[in-house]
Amino acid sequence: MVIDLQRCATCYNCVVACKQEHFLPPWVFWNRVVVSETGKFPMVTKIAYPVLCNHCKEAVCVKVCPTGATHKREDGIVEMIPDKCVGCRYCVVVCPYQQRTYHAHDNKEYFPGQGLTPLEIIGKKLYPLQKGTVIKCNFCAERVDQGVKKGLKPGVDREATPACVIACPCSARYFGDLDDPKSEVSKLIKEKKAYPLHPEYGTEPSVYYINR
Amino acid sequence: MKLYEWMVKPTPQTEWVEKRGILLWIAFYVGGLGGGVYLVSLYFNSLLGILISWLIVVVLKGGFHILYLGHPLRFWRMFLRPQSSWISRGLIFVVAFIGLVFVQLLLAYFKPGTGLETVMMVLAVIMAVGMSIYTGFVMNYVNGIQLWISSVLPFLFLLCGVLGGFGIILGIAHITGGIDIMAVETGSMVLMIVMAGLIVIYLTSSRYIGPAGKESVIALVKGPVAPVFWIGVVLCGIIIPFIVSFSSLLGGELPLSIQILAILCEITGGLTLRYSILKGGYYSPLIPVST
Repeated sequence: MVIDLQRCATCYNCVVACKQEHFLPPWVFWNRVVVSETGKFPMVTKIAYPVLCNHCKEAVCVKVCPTGATHKREDGIVEMIPDKCVGCRYCVVVCPYQQRTYHAHDNKEYFPGQGLTPLEIIGKKLYPLQKGTVIKCNFCAERVDQGVKKGLKPGVDREATPACVIACPCSARYFGDLDDPKSEVSKLIKEKKAYPLHPEYGTEPSVYYINR
Repeated sequence: MKLYEWMVKPTPQTEWVEKRGILLWIAFYVGGLGGGVYLVSLYFNSLLGILISWLIVVVLKGGFHILYLGHPLRFWRMFLRPQSSWISRGLIFVVAFIGLVFVQLLLAYFKPGTGLETVMMVLAVIMAVGMSIYTGFVMNYVNGIQLWISSVLPFLFLLCGVLGGFGIILGIAHITGGIDIMAVETGSMVLMIVMAGLIVIYLTSSRYIGPAGKESVIALVKGPVAPVFWIGVVLCGIIIPFIVSFSSLLGGELPLSIQILAILCEITGGLTLRYSILKGGYYSPLIPVST
């Protein structure tokens, strides 16, 4: 994935789309927008970085998982198998990008004391999250898989593309195959000198940022 | 910290030290303590000490770890990836230690002095050392937290466990006798001096790893973790037990209540050292820090 910071309007639409797509409970975010400032008044610059799981090529969470619950698919998506997760939270601690969440409570309501809304009830059926396991962004693997089955191309066809990419009103997000030099994402990385966050960790993140 | 400062400024690690993480903090410490008690008991040839170390590992280490897990019944899955995960390796050390020491205790009681007992003992020593140091390697892997990537950490944890072992063996010596108390006191004092030196080296080196490392050291020395560090680690863990040991060496045997206080202080020191390191772990910011 490539995120163009010059295009990002910090509208948080990606955050909301992700929550809707996966019916994420309160206080769980697989997509976040981290906002910072640099410089001193009056020369202050605001910086906003949409962040999500980096689906690292050398994912440290995959290495340290003692059960194999965190695994890397052939297409590079780092995915959780909830039935294998023991909830040791080593992956939560070890992720230098802090993009994993331990799902401790499955009864949190968006409107405390008023019970689950019909949408939350449907969400629990459609997208059950196992209590006591670690959850994280999966690049909307279900959408991608269904789309690919239909012969669609991830990043090109809407039905095979992650929700945050489709929902972005500024077209700041691009999705595709980093191993394909002809893909749009590969071209953008090369042409616009896109960079990942903290390459010094040696995790080879698959999310790149453009800031020029 | 304010919510909007998350990963913009150095962000403290909470998963392994707050809420249910408290169980893991204790489990990490008692694992090292169990290994340390075993090694020291073996040195002073105390069968009761070995039994206590076994009980510490089975009941406390095993219990707290199991309670911490989100799905305790799936714990067997944690054996499956020793090729890459230090948690798997640690679990193997723990389970092997429990089995080996159990057989060793049975042999020592029913058929003492056999070759098999020696084999069990040698293997158990390896497992005890592994059990004491593996948490250091577990934490070394977290490269987002600069306080934890120091290579001093495994040695510090081993030393902390052995020091706790000296405390426990001192208690056993007072109950059962037959153990050279002066040797225990001298050993404790030497280890406390080494421990103090190692903590200084650890903090000094971590201070220069990077900005998050510096932030962590500041948090430990004069920030939110400072009371625990100075009172728990320095005063209870080093100064009080050192004074008690030194007084005992100079002026003969001290009252039992003071000896018990010193033992409790030593254990508190070990626990608070782990707590300080876990609590003082700050992640490097994701994006440039606000000024």
